Amino acid sequence: MRNKSIITEAKQIQLATELISLGARLQVLEMNTNLSRERLVKLYKEIRGVSPPKGMLPYSEDWFMSWQPNMHSSLFINIYNYVVANTGVNGIDALIKSYCLYMEHIKVNELDKVLSLTRAWTLIRFIDSGVLCIAPCVSCRGKFVVHSLEIHSNHVCGLCNIPSRAGKTKKAAMLAAIH
Amino acid sequence: MDSNQILDEIRDINLSYMLLAKQMLREDRVSAMYRLGINQDIADILEQLTSAQLIKMAASNMLLCRFRFDDRLIAEMLSTDSRDQSVAKSHASILMAGKSAEAVV
Repeated sequence: MRNKSIITEAKQIQLATELISLGARLQVLEMNTNLSRERLVKLYKEIRGVSPPKGMLPYSEDWFMSWQPNMHSSLFINIYNYVVANTGVNGIDALIKSYCLYMEHIKVNELDKVLSLTRAWTLIRFIDSGVLCIAPCVSCRGKFVVHSLEIHSNHVCGLCNIPSRAGKTKKAAMLAAIH
Repeated sequence: MDSNQILDEIRDINLSYMLLAKQMLREDRVSAMYRLGINQDIADILEQLTSAQLIKMAASNMLLCRFRFDDRLIAEMLSTDSRDQSVAKSHASILMAGKSAEAVV
């Protein structure tokens, strides 16, 4: 689809620029703008200085279930739902805003950035298509990302019931060894 | 602290709070609404207040802002010094973001 209006195109480039600087993959850009693939590749190279990564997007819904990713994606989806419900912004703009707010939380609490923009976008698509959904924890009443096909009537979140190996990654062990 | 001093402090906090809220809304409306925990109606009211109205509203014996941890669990998470502070903070953020916004009825 070709753009006729220059103003529309300028807006699309603006949006693509914002998405690229937040770390979006090419597929995300193609889905959310009307710009041609060649232009997007050019834009990507100009902003990042490298060619966009090739290959498929991460597609596993199970990734969102492991402990640390679940904490991060549940936080993101709560922010996203708040933004959509209360501020009158939706779609890709809501995604950008809530992703920036999520990144801010990461920065303030000195956490690792676990959820990439592409993963956040995938998460919203999984929820829209009913693969994943949001269920309340019976203990803290917070809302968490869960598999749609599981039974949620007695769901206890990973933060109320922290598994013994939670967060004990190779990286964390290395950091502990340094200090 | 005598009661006059407390009233002065309350007025100062009311004024700073509302000025900060207005500034946040001006700079980035969506993020401000998330940070303040308010919905569009309250944001509109805040944005339309004039300076004279702000001063009038601030001069009160009651604070215009209130605690957001209306839940024992959130208060505990934010205040206790657990082994992993960042996990507790993230948990609290999930709960706070999941609450409904302040709204006008």
